Amino acid sequence: MFTKPLNTLLILMVTMPILGWVTYKKKYRKIRGLYAVLGLSVTAYFLYELYLEVSEKGNLRSCSLPFGACLDIDMLSIFMALIYVMIGLLAAAYSVKYMERDTGLTEYYTLLLGMVAGMMGVTFAGDFFTLFVFWELMSLTSYALVAFRKERWAPIEAGFKYLIMSAAGGATILLAMSFLYGMTGTLNFADIATGLGSVASNEWLFVTLTLIIVGFGVKAAIVPFHTWLPDAHPEAPAPISALLSGVLVPTGAYALIRVLLLVFGSIQSVWQMTLLVFAVLTMFVGNLMALLQDDIKRLLAFSTIAQMGYILFGFSIASQQGLTGSLFHIMNHAIMKSLLFLCAGAFVHQVGTRDLRKLEGIRQTMPVTSMLLAIGAVAIAAIPPLNGFWSEWMIVLAGIEAEMLPYSALMIINILLSVAYYLRLIYVIVLKEPTPVSKKATEVPLSMLIPIIILAALCIIIGVYPGPFVALAQQAANATLGL
Amino acid sequence: MIPLSYYIMGAIALYIVGMYCLAVKRNMIRLVIGIEILINAAHLNFIAFSAHRSPSFIDPLGHSIVIMSIVFAGCVTAVALTIVTYAYKHYGTLDVRKLRRLRW
Amino acid sequence: MRMNRNRVVGLTAIVLAILIFSMLVVSHEFPILNSAETVKMETTEFLWTYRLIDMIAQAFVLFAAAACCVAILRAGEKE
Repeated sequence: MFTKPLNTLLILMVTMPILGWVTYKKKYRKIRGLYAVLGLSVTAYFLYELYLEVSEKGNLRSCSLPFGACLDIDMLSIFMALIYVMIGLLAAAYSVKYMERDTGLTEYYTLLLGMVAGMMGVTFAGDFFTLFVFWELMSLTSYALVAFRKERWAPIEAGFKYLIMSAAGGATILLAMSFLYGMTGTLNFADIATGLGSVASNEWLFVTLTLIIVGFGVKAAIVPFHTWLPDAHPEAPAPISALLSGVLVPTGAYALIRVLLLVFGSIQSVWQMTLLVFAVLTMFVGNLMALLQDDIKRLLAFSTIAQMGYILFGFSIASQQGLTGSLFHIMNHAIMKSLLFLCAGAFVHQVGTRDLRKLEGIRQTMPVTSMLLAIGAVAIAAIPPLNGFWSEWMIVLAGIEAEMLPYSALMIINILLSVAYYLRLIYVIVLKEPTPVSKKATEVPLSMLIPIIILAALCIIIGVYPGPFVALAQQAANATLGL
Repeated sequence: MIPLSYYIMGAIALYIVGMYCLAVKRNMIRLVIGIEILINAAHLNFIAFSAHRSPSFIDPLGHSIVIMSIVFAGCVTAVALTIVTYAYKHYGTLDVRKLRRLRW
Repeated sequence: MRMNRNRVVGLTAIVLAILIFSMLVVSHEFPILNSAETVKMETTEFLWTYRLIDMIAQAFVLFAAAACCVAILRAGEKE
C-alpha cells in the first residue's frame, strides 16, 4: 500500500479507538498514551530503515503512469518525516501526563496519530492530488485538536477562525491544482514540470503562482494570511501547540518550496522575488508583534511567524546554501520551539495561568523547567554555542553569497529584535522576584520532564557538533534541487 | 459545446462569490457555506478541463478527482458545523462579529 | 388535532393535488431510455486501477473526520 512507516501510523490511528473501548476503566487509562508512544517509536524505526534504503537508491518512486497516484520519496521527504516523528513521539510522551485530567483521550491520541500520518503523507506524495489528500487529513485533525478543550470559549473561537482560514486556503490550492491540470493534463509533479516546459510563460501561469502562494501561505504563516496563528497556538493544549508550531507550519513551507521548485522552474526569478518580499514582511511583523505580548504562548506563536520568515528567506534564495540553511533551520526550530512550548505547558499545568506578569520568578519553585526554558530561549535567540546560531548564520551567509546583501542585513536586524523579547522572557522567568501565584508552583512530574530534557540535550548537541546534521540537511537540499 | 473560457469565467466568478461570502457575511453557517462555494469553484474547473481536452473524449482523471474532493468538502463542513454548535453554546449567537474576545 | 377551517381547506387541497398528479402520471407514458448495452463503469474502473492510493487515504480521512466530530461532541467532564 504505502510505505511501512505510513502504514504503521494509519493502522495505529484506526486501532486506537478499539484500545480506548477496551481500557475504559480508570486504572487502565494510561495504556492509551503508552500505545501511542510505542507506536511512534516503531514508526521511527521503520523510518530509519526507509532512510537507509533511500540513501543508497536515490529516490523511491512508485509512479506507474502519468495519471496514476504515486508516492515519491527522496532525501528531503525522509528528512522532514524524521523531524515529524521525533517531535510527535516527544509530544505524545509529554501528553501522557499533561492530558490526564482531560476526557476524551482516545480521540486525542487518534487525532494526534492522524496528524503525524497526514504530515508524513504530505512529504511522501509524488502527485499533487495525493498531497492534497494527506493535506486534508493533516488539516482536519488539527482543527479538532485546536478546539479540543471545548468547555472554554477561547479554543472554540480560535478553532473556528483557524478552520475558516485554513479551509479557504485548501480551496485555493484546489483551484490552482485545477489550472495546472488544465494546462498539462496530468497532476504528477515530474510530468507537470515537463509539460509546463513546453508552455510559454503566459498569464495563467502567474495566476496559478499567486493561488499557490496564497493557498500554501495560509498554512505556512506568511504575513497577510497569518492571523489565525496567534489565536490558535495558545489555545491548543501544550503538546499540540508544540506540534502545530514546530511541524505543521513548516509543512506548509515544505509543500510551497516543493511545488515551486518542481513545477514553476520556468518563472523562477518571479517567485524568488515574491517570496523574498513576503519573507521580509513576515519577519518584521512577527518580531514587532512579539515585543508587545504578555501571554507566554502568544509570544511564542508570534516568534514562530518570525522564524518562518527566516525559513522563507532561505527558500527564496533557492541556491544549495540557502536551501541547506533553511532545512537545517526547520529542524532546529522544531526542536527549540517544541522545547519552549512544552516548558510553557509545564508552567500552565502547575500554575494555571499563561500571563507573564504572574509567572515572574518561577525559577525559585520550578528550577529545572526554568533552566530548560532558558536553554531553549538562548538557543532560539541565535546565541553562539547553541544550535539556532548555526542555522541562522547559514541563511545569512547564503543571502550574502547570492548578492542579496540588503536583505541579509534586514534579517540580522530581525535577529537582534528577537533577542530583545527572548532575553525578556529569560529575565522574567529566571531573574525576577516571585509573585504570589508563582510561589504556589511545584516541580512537574518526571514523565513530563523527560521529553523536555531530551529536547534540550539535542539543542546542545546540535549546537556543539552540527556536522552530521548539516550533512543530512545538505543531502536533502541536493535531492530537492536535483543535483 | 460551450467554449472553455465561459466555464473558467464561471469558476472564477464562483471563487469571487465565495471569498465575498467569507469576508462579508456575519452568520457562521453562511461562512461554512462560503467554504463549500469556494471548493465547488475548483470542481467546476476540473470538470470543464476534463471535457474540453479533446472533442469526443472525456478525460476520466478530472472526474475522479472531483468525486474524491466532494467527500473532503463534506468532511470539512461536518467538522465546521460541530465547532459552530459549540460556538453557539458559548456565545449564545451565530454572529461571527461577536467572536472578538481574543485580541492582540 | 383541532379541525378548523384552514386545516380542512389545506387537507382537501393536498388530497386533490395527489389525485390529479397521479392521474396525469398514469395517463402519460414515461420515455425511459432503454439502452441496449450495459452501463460502462469507466470512472469507477479508472479510480480503482490508477488512484488506489488516494482512495485508501480518503477512507482514512473519512475516519479522521468522524473521530474529529466525536472528539468535539464528546460528553465532557461531569465533576
